[in-house]
Amino acid sequence: MATGQSGSANALQPALIPGGPAQAARPGSATGISPVWGFILRRLLLGIVVLVLVSIVVFVATQALGDPARAILGRSATPASLAALRQQLHLNQPVVTQYLTWAGGLLHGDAGNSLAAQEPVTKLIGDRIVNSAVLVLCAGLISIPLSVAIGSYAALRRDKTFDVVTSLSTLVFAALPEFVVGVSLVVIFATTVFHVLPAVSLIPPGGRPWDNPAGLVLPTLTLVLAVTPYVARIMRASMIEVLESDYVEMARLKGLPERVVITRHALPNALGPTFQVIALNLAYLAGGIIVVEYVFNYAGIGGALRDAVSNHDLPVIQALAMLIAGLYVVLNLLADIATIMVTPKLRTRL
Amino acid sequence: MDDKATLELMHLRGQITRRQLLVGMGMLAAGLSMASVLAACGTSSTTTSSAPKRGGTFRLGVTGGGAKDMMDGQNITTKPDQARLVTAFETLLVYDADYKLSTDGLAESVTQDKPDQWTIRVKQGIEFHDGKTLGADDVIYSLTRMLTDPTLFGNAGLGSVDVKGMTKMDDRTVRLKLKGPDSTIGDQLGQYYNGIVPVGYKRYPGTQNGTGPYKLDSFTPGQQSSHSRNPNYWRTGQPYFDKVTIIDFTDPAAQVNALLGGQLDAITDIPFGQVTVVKAHPELTVLESPGGGWLPLCMAIDMPPFTDVRVRQAFRLIADRQAIVTQVLSGHGRVANDLYSPFDACFASDLPQRHQDLAQAKSLLASAGQSNLTMDLHTTDGAAGMVDIANVFAQQAKGAGVTLNVKNDPNYYGDQYLKLALSVDFWGTRNYLPQVANGSIPVAPYNECHWPPAGSNYLSLYTQAKAEVDPTKRCQILHEMQKLEYDQGGYIIPFFNDLVDAFSTKVSGFKGSKGTLNLDSFGHGYRTIWFG
Amino acid sequence: MSVVNPLVSNEPPLVQSKRPTGVILGALELGRTRIGLGLVLIIAAIAIFGPLIAPHGPADFIGLPNTGPSGAARFGTDHLGQDVWSRFLDGGREILLLASAATLLGLAIGTSFGLLAAYSKGALDDILMRSMDVILAFPSIMLALVAIATLGASGWLIILAVGLTNVPRVARVTRAAAQPIVERDFVAAAEAIGVPRWRILFGEILPNVLSPLMVEASLRLTYSIGLIAGLAFLGFTANPNGADWGLMIQENQIALVVQPWGVVLPIIAVALLTMGTGMVGDGIARAAAGIDRVRGE
Repeated sequence: MATGQSGSANALQPALIPGGPAQAARPGSATGISPVWGFILRRLLLGIVVLVLVSIVVFVATQALGDPARAILGRSATPASLAALRQQLHLNQPVVTQYLTWAGGLLHGDAGNSLAAQEPVTKLIGDRIVNSAVLVLCAGLISIPLSVAIGSYAALRRDKTFDVVTSLSTLVFAALPEFVVGVSLVVIFATTVFHVLPAVSLIPPGGRPWDNPAGLVLPTLTLVLAVTPYVARIMRASMIEVLESDYVEMARLKGLPERVVITRHALPNALGPTFQVIALNLAYLAGGIIVVEYVFNYAGIGGALRDAVSNHDLPVIQALAMLIAGLYVVLNLLADIATIMVTPKLRTRL
Repeated sequence: MDDKATLELMHLRGQITRRQLLVGMGMLAAGLSMASVLAACGTSSTTTSSAPKRGGTFRLGVTGGGAKDMMDGQNITTKPDQARLVTAFETLLVYDADYKLSTDGLAESVTQDKPDQWTIRVKQGIEFHDGKTLGADDVIYSLTRMLTDPTLFGNAGLGSVDVKGMTKMDDRTVRLKLKGPDSTIGDQLGQYYNGIVPVGYKRYPGTQNGTGPYKLDSFTPGQQSSHSRNPNYWRTGQPYFDKVTIIDFTDPAAQVNALLGGQLDAITDIPFGQVTVVKAHPELTVLESPGGGWLPLCMAIDMPPFTDVRVRQAFRLIADRQAIVTQVLSGHGRVANDLYSPFDACFASDLPQRHQDLAQAKSLLASAGQSNLTMDLHTTDGAAGMVDIANVFAQQAKGAGVTLNVKNDPNYYGDQYLKLALSVDFWGTRNYLPQVANGSIPVAPYNECHWPPAGSNYLSLYTQAKAEVDPTKRCQILHEMQKLEYDQGGYIIPFFNDLVDAFSTKVSGFKGSKGTLNLDSFGHGYRTIWFG
Repeated sequence: MSVVNPLVSNEPPLVQSKRPTGVILGALELGRTRIGLGLVLIIAAIAIFGPLIAPHGPADFIGLPNTGPSGAARFGTDHLGQDVWSRFLDGGREILLLASAATLLGLAIGTSFGLLAAYSKGALDDILMRSMDVILAFPSIMLALVAIATLGASGWLIILAVGLTNVPRVARVTRAAAQPIVERDFVAAAEAIGVPRWRILFGEILPNVLSPLMVEASLRLTYSIGLIAGLAFLGFTANPNGADWGLMIQENQIALVVQPWGVVLPIIAVALLTMGTGMVGDGIARAAAGIDRVRGE
């Protein structure tokens, strides 16, 4: 048996067998057998703990941003206008009170008022969240199947032409910064070479991104080109690992046809990692969207975050940080659960 | 009538005397378009002129906005705020294309009766968007709001007006009593941000009820706003567009791309690096206006090493102004002479132009005991070119043996502004006395050079100038003040930058003009421009 | 057999091997490692020796801004009329230094945390790894953005911010690799004869997790370079005064269509650098897997 497996099951371990040694996760040596629900419950609790910690970190970190009144007024700040604005914004309460008020508000879906826009944060970023979600979903729906297909096929054709070509081209694309891809696409399709697609995505207030599908093409394409190489490479590595595993080897030795080996034995086990890849991919897109939204003037959370950071708009930064961090935690949780559910080997270990 | 009005306009700036000025009414009666008046003023006019046509949605892209965008008839914090304010709100007096005050605004006359008393009379029959007629009460409400809310942009400039001293003389006339003599009230009333709002007005999300050519339909800060034609507008025939849409851009490159790709009809502030791209495009026109904006390097005269006037003089001799214009502005500006307010009738253009003189700078530094000086030069991305000018000046300073470490600090305006020995700032165009009130006396909100030095007679000159109603005598005092700043001041002012905007050839009516706002004040609130 | 690290699969497949030198030698036999190493060496050479052969000073004003290549300026001028080629030659040190320092910082802290978590087990393990989860929950560009916008972009802050985003990923890999080692007899033996804890961690366990760490190091380096360049694009750079590739990209991208060289040169350099480190990492991973496979059979 390869020694590689013990390390690879590690992340399950704290969740499944509290404090147990890594070997406990090995088939046959598992001691703390618990039902799937126990596992899910534990992951859920851990997720909540992480979220609470995240909220404290977010709150403390944003307090360091300095005086928002000054940041809002910028150069036009005078002592009188500063005092007036501070009064307006109720910035004089103690920090702990501010945290409890804020965290309590969050639980009720109230993220406070934006300091800069002086309207509810939820109103300010609500539409932007939808816009960004649409972009992430479009990019995800294209890039995930695409990269899974490329990665799997490259793994099956390991060291053959397809593998070599894709592995080199993904390397090149992964090395290109997103804005280079974005700006190049604009030059090619919108402003200089062809004039077939809009250069920027203008979503009128109250409108939806899908009202003007043409405006979604270039930003989506940029994200797809940025993410696909990365995920395809992970997918290829995962697939190779599964294909080389003992049970696949065993299935082959038993004389099963290759098609059956792949669909019955390799794929179910490769699906687990795939969920992980999807979760990470979506979480990455939610954060990495900042640059793409900037290039295409896309009214999403990336633009809101950048703007809020430069305005020192604490409630907006806090809400967005919580949103993105929460998304990460939830996606990971879902992926963990999905992995447990679809992976026969892991399920039997529980 | 036409010529007479124009002449009056040309003289108004320096001649607000006891004599009542009754101009502007004639233009309204004659139904002349603002465009013809401006043409008569003799500014450059480049666009093709055709008969104005009705219709269409005008789409404008502006950078520099964000969630803190606001809509307020009397306040701005971002560039898109300026573009939005002028759609719905108008001022009592206006600056024309030559940066001269005129009564083409809401007032039929604005008169300084005594050094400390002004009388405002508004035109008859001007209506707000909701049909209410503009009257004296609205003027009093507007001025009270400006004076009592310190967060408003125009608050500091009107400091000499006594809030309790405003009297309604009749339905259209208001008399202002001042706390002391002040000849600059007319200048303040012409600033685009001192808009006239109706009694009870509140900033957005309050109703944006103004007298301007467009009504606000919708507004999302940081994204866009939509405005539709005011059918009841007081200038006959105007405006021409059915709708105006103002769109915020974060990335200047995206803004240019949107114009190139036909998603916009006009944009403000093209990045200098892209001017050639826009010019090369057959369907786009670049509109270059000789602006009076400036990016100074500020030496705080009471902080070492600038307490020694020789060090200040040396630093001023370090600047190679033409090179700075070429490098920082790609040539889109004019060399300046450490003085501001170039469009003021009393601008001291006769003082000799300063040139780079590194040998003289070195010897001044040596005599002040500051050879091989090393210090920090603070800047931030507050306005285009602020970081570049610091870098270029630091490079030039090496020639005089001065090492300047450029510090680019995002919190510059939050934490350090006005407390630094050597820093970069940005200013728009103002006339001399209003600018002094904003940045060059101890009570000014932004006195970054900590001017004037102890023992100087600058302040008494300032008081005299404000009280002086005779324009010739006032100019002499202003000249004396400028000489003091020229010889001992803390500002290094290398240039006045141009405003470089671009628009589609589908749009007619744009003209270059001197002034603070882009796109010829956005086509005077989008009323003197049209598709055709 | 093996299940690919099912819950954390942004890392490459994990493998243990006892001989890092063997892995390196094995990796060097692979074409991709050699090409990658070649790329890294070329870019490093430009960064180190470039300033010596630059025809102009990085801040010298040599002509009109944003002009194309000419006799005086091989690759034209930048947005301030400075020589693009000279600034390019001068600008590599910054990003290489920052990225290397951020990677080393992330490796040092992450490895310590990972080893400690694996060795301590129990509560300390849980606390350490949950705090890693908290950091992981923020997209790295957001962490860096907020930190830099708060405190201003200085070199050490970029190192700290980017280094911090590296920590949890390194810690996870280290912990995963160290867990089986901790259970081995030689660790128990060392404990029995009273070897201090820190010596067990760094003297006994660390040498056994070096090859997955090397793979991770190359990934982290690749990623740090990309992140620092991305921050520069958004306008956050360490030194507004000097030339550096990230800053060049940001300053000149507005004129990309007019004078592409000011952006294209640094991008090519950054792209080749990340490709190089990526290929080296790939080679090490493959070599490590190969050795492991041979040994496992």
